[in-house]
Amino acid sequence: MKIRTAEYFITESLHSIRRNGLMSVAALMTVALSLLILGMFTVVVMNLNHMAAVLESQIQVTVYLQDSLKDVEAREIGTRITKLPGVTRVTFVGKEEAMVRFKDRLGSQQGLLAELGEANPLPNSFEVKVDRPERVKAVALAISQLKGIEAARYGQEVVEQLFSLTRMVRIFGVVLIIFLGLAALFIIVNTIRLTVFARRREIGIMKYVGATDWFIRWPFIIEGILLGSLGAFISAVLLSQLYSMVTRQVYESLAFLPLLPQYPFLGYVNIFVLVAGIGIGVLGSLISVKKFLKV
Amino acid sequence: MIQLSEVSKIFDDGFVALSDLTLKIDKGEFAFVVGPSGAGKSTLIKLLFREQLVTTGEIIVNGRNLSLLQPQEIPYFRRSLGIVFQDFRLLPDKNCYENVAFAMRVIEASRRDIQRRVKHVLDLVGLLPKAKIYPGQLSGGEQQRVAIARAIVNNPAVLIADEPTGNLDPDTSWEAMKIFDRINQTGTTILMVTHDKPIVDQMMKRVIALENGRITRDDSKGAYGYED
Repeated sequence: MKIRTAEYFITESLHSIRRNGLMSVAALMTVALSLLILGMFTVVVMNLNHMAAVLESQIQVTVYLQDSLKDVEAREIGTRITKLPGVTRVTFVGKEEAMVRFKDRLGSQQGLLAELGEANPLPNSFEVKVDRPERVKAVALAISQLKGIEAARYGQEVVEQLFSLTRMVRIFGVVLIIFLGLAALFIIVNTIRLTVFARRREIGIMKYVGATDWFIRWPFIIEGILLGSLGAFISAVLLSQLYSMVTRQVYESLAFLPLLPQYPFLGYVNIFVLVAGIGIGVLGSLISVKKFLKV
Repeated sequence: MIQLSEVSKIFDDGFVALSDLTLKIDKGEFAFVVGPSGAGKSTLIKLLFREQLVTTGEIIVNGRNLSLLQPQEIPYFRRSLGIVFQDFRLLPDKNCYENVAFAMRVIEASRRDIQRRVKHVLDLVGLLPKAKIYPGQLSGGEQQRVAIARAIVNNPAVLIADEPTGNLDPDTSWEAMKIFDRINQTGTTILMVTHDKPIVDQMMKRVIALENGRITRDDSKGAYGYED
């Protein structure tokens, strides 16, 4: 393509965006809104995945020992657990230590324990760390078969719930994104169709004097790209603002939630949003100009 | 230059627009196509422009068999043709110069060529002084001359005119015809569909008469031959 031709295409497309006025603004806003929601869902899904992964990596097996066990027997169980494949660390938590932790967790409601008096119903336990999350289940099973074990618990249920939540959000998000994408496409098609319709005579003449279809299409494609990428830009700015607001809030009040840091994560999401915007713009313009090229 | 052999055009609804047309127009010829409405004249132009395809038969224009033309070759084929419409079809938001230059710009001619050629053809149709004027401020005859300038600016081998004087009064029609004649004398083949009896009668050129999709007459120096 010659530089002068490219210049001509860009001038033509800017001209028609201006001429369409309000309709261009409406298209821009619809695209921006659709892409913002697309971006938001991407951010939520990716954060849920991240949380699940973090939680999974922190999983440990808690082994409760029978109360009747002597110290020697408890120590022997500890040694046996250490020798199981995949086990990286075994920490003994005595019942006194467990009670201290429990009181800590209750915080201001410690009064509830007064009823118990001096009795400590909590058992001795081991905290067992495992090298890979997917081994946790097998290790827990192996431990529970040892003698003198009350129970071996691990937080797999939580992780599985988180994964199923992620899956649901993802499915819902995909459906919503498809609908919003179609809405954005529809309004872009209509906006550009206005331009195409206003210039149908011109297109007819172009066809008669031997302009190629691509020469005729380019200004409309550029119009679509401009609307799509500008909409994407707006949604990227909004998304970044929103995300930094949310992360700030979370760090202040829910610091234990492992959110993905804004950089570079949000950069990737914004690139994705931009690509989606340009894609919608190009597709929309191709659809709207198609009918008028049949001369 | 233009060669039709046994050309028929039957539309999807079964209407026979053209039937068994055989015709040869040589390079540099000036031919009128006359006939009542619905005789198939417009269909003939659409076929020559490869806007539509023949149902049977063969059309060869400027050495190209139109049935064998690939879709992506059509624009390049059309650059060897010029067309003038009854309703001029100028772009109202472009001035005369831009309207003519537009036809060169869309085929990506160089800026220098555009300037040179547009001035030349505007001069040829006598409108160089009005180059900066917009079509709305021109008379019908002047608008048609701009349209003629646009049709020939890319140096087509064949110029096709679809009732070019249909919207013009007799005097301006003659001015337009003089320009067509001048263009013809530079070697451009001209095929003109018309209802303009006085012009056909006085020009004394080849006349091809169509009726119900068939050629009923083909005189080398003919007259209009209808009373309508």
